Amino acid sequence: MKSGLTFGILLLTSLWYLSFSATRLDRLHHRVETSWANLDGLLQRRAAVALEIAHSELIDPASSLILTAAAYQARDANMRDRSQAESSLSGALMLLQNEMSDETRSADAALLKELSDLTQKIRVGVSIHVDAVTRTRAVRKKLIFKLFRLAGTAPLPITYEFEDDAL
Amino acid sequence: MPNLKPLKIGLVCPYGWDAPGGVQNHVRDLAEYLIAHGHKVSVLAPTLDEEALPEYVVSAGKPIPIPWNGAVARVLFGPIAFARVRQWIAQGDFDLLHLHEPAIPSISLLACWAAEGPMVGTFHAAAKKQKAIYAIGPILEPVIEKLNVRIAVSEAARATLSEHLETDAIVIPNGIYGSNFRNGTAQPQWSGQTIGFMGRFEEPRKGLSVLVDALSIVARFVPEIRVIIAGPGDTEEVLKKVDPQLRDRISFLGRLHEKEKADFLTSLTLYVAPNTGGESFGIILAEAMASGAAIVASDIPAFASLLGDGKYGALFANEDSTQLAHAIIDLLRDPAKRKALALAGQEHGKIFDWDTVAEQIFSVYQMAIVGGQKVGLASDNRSWTRLLGRDGQK
Repeated sequence: MKSGLTFGILLLTSLWYLSFSATRLDRLHHRVETSWANLDGLLQRRAAVALEIAHSELIDPASSLILTAAAYQARDANMRDRSQAESSLSGALMLLQNEMSDETRSADAALLKELSDLTQKIRVGVSIHVDAVTRTRAVRKKLIFKLFRLAGTAPLPITYEFEDDAL
Repeated sequence: MPNLKPLKIGLVCPYGWDAPGGVQNHVRDLAEYLIAHGHKVSVLAPTLDEEALPEYVVSAGKPIPIPWNGAVARVLFGPIAFARVRQWIAQGDFDLLHLHEPAIPSISLLACWAAEGPMVGTFHAAAKKQKAIYAIGPILEPVIEKLNVRIAVSEAARATLSEHLETDAIVIPNGIYGSNFRNGTAQPQWSGQTIGFMGRFEEPRKGLSVLVDALSIVARFVPEIRVIIAGPGDTEEVLKKVDPQLRDRISFLGRLHEKEKADFLTSLTLYVAPNTGGESFGIILAEAMASGAAIVASDIPAFASLLGDGKYGALFANEDSTQLAHAIIDLLRDPAKRKALALAGQEHGKIFDWDTVAEQIFSVYQMAIVGGQKVGLASDNRSWTRLLGRDGQK
């Protein structure tokens, strides 16, 4: 009788713990989705601004070509190649900003301001997303999550590598 | 701040609203800033006196003083508080919750446990690694990881967070109303060869004794030196330890009002912060910078990072009164250097203005609410509430 009760309590506790863990992981997946949606939105806006700069006739045709190509590549890249493509766009934008003369700078101040604001936000967005991904991956590595397949069919989140200094 | 769709924001303050403190000030200023910019804000906080509360504060009950990290923290927990927290969340219809100090045992932690949806947490404290954290870590981990974004107020707080809970954070400093301090007027009674000190000087970690020790050296080189101390505490205790010949160089002002504070800082020749530790941010240094005071501070991590490793204020080796004396004498004798340091600090200090800080915080809010979900009670809590027959969601 007594052992039956102990068994019952144990069973209930483990059931609760399993359901708690499943909810926990579900929330983490949701967090990754949100942080990615945010980052993705910011990156798309940056590509749009880059295209606008490329077409603004304030820069030479060669730079415009490089920038347009990089922006399209970043927009069309699939999830896996995304960070690479975005890094090349960062590189192209940085080159451009270093080479720009002071007159051009002031002529297109609004666009450049928008770009630097976006860059700042992307930096924050990346760190938020990276933290969500790392956390989720760490939790999914734990034994109980593997053993009971608590992740279900959700794919393992991909680490996003963004070169910080390239931003 | 760009004028976007107004949000309904719930702020949770873990410490007693009536007691003075850095976290409380931060929450109050942030709430008032957000309200002034058209957002709806409700602050949940423990309070002693429910009558005297501003309109936007909701009381979660009376705070309980507990020993925490070597000081007394006025926090709140327990089943009644938890029920109030759940009720506040269920009725608030918030777009976002911003929890302050969610890793200490108070209502921020309870709110983080009870809620689901967009949440941002700000970590204020900086502490050394403690053994206890190994025991608390596994309990906190699943709660803290619900936060969409973590903010640390300084690099020191960020390091504490990554050491204790293995998670990274974005650094957004505490805010001050910089223009109030930039508009201070120099008062003759505080001007001259004066050194200022501010804070609860009885607490050893504020380091007043380091300054007192340095004074005996400084007085030999700069005889007309005066030390003015602002802040509450027992003055007799301090004077007892001072060389009788130097006692008349020290004066006490007691606690200052905001306006007096700006005038005081503006009048001083030097502001000295000899704190020996336990400081996470150092808001007083940001205020002194904005007032245009030249600063000498101990090189504890929070101060060193706030002063740009010496670019915006002179640093001395922590607890080394001889080095402090040298730094003071050096600056008192070289007005050009002092002026340059003060100007560099005043310029840099603009990053602590509420306009800048609140914009950064708000941009984080927008990142957290991208999914468009609202804040509600977590599913595990809903069933719990139903089971107990208490309906929090009216």
